[in-house]
Amino acid sequence: MKNDFSVEQIKSGFAQSGYICNDNIAMTMFLAHQLEKPVLVEGPPGVGKTELAKATAQFLNWDLIRLQCYEGLDEAKALYEWKYGKQLLYTQVLKDKLGDLLKGAHGLAESIDRLHEFGDIFYSEQFLEPRPLLQALQAEQGTVLLIDEIDKADNEFESFLLEMLSDYQISIPEIGTIKARRHPIVFLTSNNTRELSDALKRRCLHLFIPFPDATLERSIIQSRVPGINDKLRQQLVGFVQEVRKLDLKKQPAISETIDWARTLLLLHSESLSPELVETTLNVLLKHEEDINNVKDDMRSLFNKLFKS
Amino acid sequence: MDRILVDFVKALRGNGVRISTSETLDAIHAVDLVGYGQRSQLKSALSLTLAKSEEEKSRFDSCFDQFFHFNSFEQFEQPTQKPPPKNPLERIISLSSSNPADNPAEAESPLGQMLMQGDGQALASAMANAASVANVRDIKVMTQKGLYGRRMMMAMGLEAMEQEMWAAEASDDLQEQALARSLRDARERLREEVKHYVERQYLLQASGESRALRESVMRETSLENLREFKDVQNLVRKLAKKLVATHSRRRKVYQRGKLDVRNTIRHNIPYSGVLLETHWKTKRVDKPKVMAICDVSGSVSQYSRFLLMFLYSLTEVISNVRAFAFSSDLQEVTQWFENENIDTAINLTLDRIGGGSTDYGQSLQTFSNLCLNQVDHRTTVIILGDARNNYGDARTELLQAIQSRARQLIWLNPESRLRWGSGDSEMKRYKPYCSWAEPCQSLNQLERFIGNLLRYNQ
Repeated sequence: MKNDFSVEQIKSGFAQSGYICNDNIAMTMFLAHQLEKPVLVEGPPGVGKTELAKATAQFLNWDLIRLQCYEGLDEAKALYEWKYGKQLLYTQVLKDKLGDLLKGAHGLAESIDRLHEFGDIFYSEQFLEPRPLLQALQAEQGTVLLIDEIDKADNEFESFLLEMLSDYQISIPEIGTIKARRHPIVFLTSNNTRELSDALKRRCLHLFIPFPDATLERSIIQSRVPGINDKLRQQLVGFVQEVRKLDLKKQPAISETIDWARTLLLLHSESLSPELVETTLNVLLKHEEDINNVKDDMRSLFNKLFKS
Repeated sequence: MDRILVDFVKALRGNGVRISTSETLDAIHAVDLVGYGQRSQLKSALSLTLAKSEEEKSRFDSCFDQFFHFNSFEQFEQPTQKPPPKNPLERIISLSSSNPADNPAEAESPLGQMLMQGDGQALASAMANAASVANVRDIKVMTQKGLYGRRMMMAMGLEAMEQEMWAAEASDDLQEQALARSLRDARERLREEVKHYVERQYLLQASGESRALRESVMRETSLENLREFKDVQNLVRKLAKKLVATHSRRRKVYQRGKLDVRNTIRHNIPYSGVLLETHWKTKRVDKPKVMAICDVSGSVSQYSRFLLMFLYSLTEVISNVRAFAFSSDLQEVTQWFENENIDTAINLTLDRIGGGSTDYGQSLQTFSNLCLNQVDHRTTVIILGDARNNYGDARTELLQAIQSRARQLIWLNPESRLRWGSGDSEMKRYKPYCSWAEPCQSLNQLERFIGNLLRYNQ
């Protein structure tokens, strides 16, 4: 029951929802869908790794389930938790009913046998509180599962994910194995703060999203900040691309280019000037040192961009 | 076509991209879906399934371009439509068939026919087939090039064609002789092309294996002889990564099976004290701090580059490293190591601090003044140097003070044990205050040291 679409269709579908991408990214989604493999997306912050999962969900019209990783994330928060309160309530109810249940039982052994018939109820699916991973497995509809910043989670959690990633199933000790009703599309993102294990990489398609080239970035700006005029867009993207070549602590990402474009639009600017850049630079750059660096190089940057 | 893919995977492996069997299968599935038709699509599909890090992606790119240079797909799809014959195969064809002067006779042998008819597609795939028949992939050394080239030509049916050529030369018929000439011509050009093909295969397949060989040699070579900076850098980074991979796994240790009673009771108050939710004891392992002191004086000049490189890799992979360098006096270089790239950082250090005469006493004194009070039970102090002090005051009491505060003090000496204590070497006097004092002359020794460090440093 797979609806088939080509790489080109994906590309234009993404574009409609405002995610402009190159062939490589569209191919990733195509293969992820066709081969039913999870995708590991790496790249510098702010190039649209998380956005890709959102765009995919929107394109397929599927639900997006998001799991944000952090140090100390464990199974109870990612997969399932028992509904202790409910279990407790049921034990209370059971206590009252105990007399009824054991009516007619002779001797301790027989009573315990009877009780055993109820023992397993408390660890069954009714008492399970599903967390993102389990939700994704139980969903009747197709879902996109985004496991964000997997590099922030501990190694143990990474290993725990392996079963899910290779077979779309999870083993819960008290119940057994839960298989996905429908294979979700899984995206994992990483900022490369920690090297991920080979076992994880082996199970995933691997997409590296670099900073976009000028053409792509221009069309992204065009789609996200439509009000901006052509000349300014050209200059702005040219400037950002030059700034990325400098030796900075944190390179400006696409999201920051978009913010900057919006700022300039608010200021009703027609074109870039050194003064304008200087006053709005803190939108683009997030470190004092970087801002000073760029200010120092401003004249040569402008010469390079607009004189030639 | 799977065969070609498997060869490609082998070539990638040879070039340092790690690929498992399951990944190869993924690639085959992906190619089934995408097809060989569009080069760019094929490239991204293969790249997604086979290359799993930024570095591997760039290796993949160059490998892909080299490997599919011959099997270039435009050529498969539309053999001879382009008017200017650009690639060598088409050149063979156009030259051998552009002989209208004396209308040569039809060639009989299959290879001859193929060359004369100018069927680029057939020729290209015949070449690929011949290559697999002749096992060109197995080529190991450059000198085997001729051998494999010859085998490939034979596999393509050279024998039959040559016999036809000789027969035609012997004949009196003008048309036959023209045929012989063009066949001879075509043969030479084919030979050229086959030679190039084999060369490319050699570069792809064998260079990887020879690199592995080079790497293993490099590990044994004494550090002062290591000149291939880039490769060493990779090896050193591998070692440092290994250090950290094991290291980060030990950050938090669960003491499974030990109930944290206090915590459990507190969390179960809502359930009227029934212990439903259990909490287990955990133990946090402290992040160790590392302080590394590197000798960059004249006597160790050939090593210092390497030592600094190791130091740099350490700062790259462990967050808590403070780096110091000294010759006559000591200076902290952490700043450069954190903010500059490896070459700049090392050059800066060598320019500003390096090259002078050694004074261990003064340097230890400065180190103590700077940060002895920050050395604590979590700190590992590593000293990289030869302990040659120009007969100056060794100040062992300073080292003792450092050792008594630190968790451990490690000394890596680029000289062999035999030379410790000879001449102006103070190593014998420093050694009692070190938790570890190891010679570190080759990468293998360094690796062994790191292994030990991890084993005993839990």
